[in-house]
Amino acid sequence: MKKKIALILAGVILVLSLGLAACGTGSDTTDTDAANGTESAEGEKMVVDDAKVAAAANDGIFKIGLDPEFPPMGFRDTDGNYVGFDIDLAKEVAKRLGMEFEAVPINWDAKNMELGAGNIDCIWNGFTMTGREGDYLWTSPYVSNAQVVVVNENSGIESEADLAGKVLALQQGSTAENALNSRTDIKDSLANTLFVADNVSALNELKVGGVDAVLVDEVVADYYMAQNPGLKTVASLAQETYGVGFALGNSALRDKVETTLQEMAADGTMKKISEEWFGKDITTIGKTAE
Amino acid sequence: MYYSLITMRVAMKDLPGIVRQLAEGYGDAMTIFFLTLLISLPLGLIVAFGRMSKHKIISLPVEFYISVMRGTPLMLQLIGVYFGPALIIQFLGEVFHIVSMQTFAVPSNYRFAAVIIAFGINYAAYFAEIYRGGIEAVPKGQYEAGEVLGFSRTQIFFKIVFPQMVKNILPAATNEIITLVKDTSLAFAISYVEMFTIAKMLVNSTSSLIPLVIGGAFYYITNLFIAFVMKKVEKRMSYFN
Repeated sequence: MKKKIALILAGVILVLSLGLAACGTGSDTTDTDAANGTESAEGEKMVVDDAKVAAAANDGIFKIGLDPEFPPMGFRDTDGNYVGFDIDLAKEVAKRLGMEFEAVPINWDAKNMELGAGNIDCIWNGFTMTGREGDYLWTSPYVSNAQVVVVNENSGIESEADLAGKVLALQQGSTAENALNSRTDIKDSLANTLFVADNVSALNELKVGGVDAVLVDEVVADYYMAQNPGLKTVASLAQETYGVGFALGNSALRDKVETTLQEMAADGTMKKISEEWFGKDITTIGKTAE
Repeated sequence: MYYSLITMRVAMKDLPGIVRQLAEGYGDAMTIFFLTLLISLPLGLIVAFGRMSKHKIISLPVEFYISVMRGTPLMLQLIGVYFGPALIIQFLGEVFHIVSMQTFAVPSNYRFAAVIIAFGINYAAYFAEIYRGGIEAVPKGQYEAGEVLGFSRTQIFFKIVFPQMVKNILPAATNEIITLVKDTSLAFAISYVEMFTIAKMLVNSTSSLIPLVIGGAFYYITNLFIAFVMKKVEKRMSYFN
């Protein structure tokens, strides 16, 4: 009797979950081969609650959403404050717009939801525009970045060709995935691709030898190599640009921020902040494309 | 152009793919499950003996080990077991200027080994305490009866005490085993991909919670089966009722 009940219960649960699924509209869904990572970065979707977004834009607080484990763009220092290159830029923008500044740490997987619900005004976090141009409302690109391959100095890997048969780590859901997918020649030659939760984990894997190479944003690589000798970059896989991403339709706030960024570029503030973090000016606003 | 936010819906055509991928992950999760039980069940018994030893030089370190394993998160232990040895060796290599240690790298299969080691020693601590409770609940009279009947100490334990201990610990052991099924999801802390990780990736790509629901169903049905089996075992061991 009890056995029957257990089996029936199991069957009911299965049917329920299938039934819930069957209520689906069958609308254009994306490729579900997520374990290969082809969709994690590209197929993200967002629905915008215009009223909430507008209210958030006008509440006098400039809230930026960030992944707090992304030094040097945005991270938590030992005093518990959020610091970083992007944070400094955003604080300056907020100051010039007469708004308060708030850094809101978010789960990177939930960024679209946070933006569409008005919990944050924008995503400002080394946010790659390339490949996402239609998904958000962007400012002009403010930094030019590449996805680079980082290896240990004495690993014997000198070029892309040497990656054959090696293990590569990258952050799950990042544009590093897109960059790797666009280079199937490299991707197929790898022994394995390891998805990790964040860039720091990927670089730590490199440190203990769990992987042979890491694919990561150049700005992150430069920052870590400055602090951790013994690493080098051997290849550059994709050029991309960073921008500040707003919810679709939030043009009023985006335009204000855009204008402010242009002003900051024109009066040299942007260059100053960039030099503080990177020792050089890596910003691209207000400059002619190279 | 607006797209759909996370929903409770998914296209029927995606379901087979979702279930197939989750099933693969389920296999990985179950691998952790069985190997962990294989290690922690016997190891837990040894640890329990250590804990109950009359010699403080054994029982105190064992008590400390149990307290650390139960008192710190399994996720922390996973990260420690995986990254710890290499980082310590590299650090010592820098301190003592031994170049070969400075470039120490983990062996290529270490990730999986680290998962099993961390799970194994963690669960051994929990089982040790469960065993100890079960053993201490066996009346002293049983030991005396065994001595009177001429059994050796080992015989007393394995033929008289152990079976009664098993009867005592079945509910608590069932709890631990069920918890283990769900704890397998922590393995992603060191980038070991199992079912829950895949479920999260699928949630991202389908913008739907359905993969999590199906993943949950996998866990629940597994645990129903385990509870059912343990109940049968309990019934068979209730020879006094």
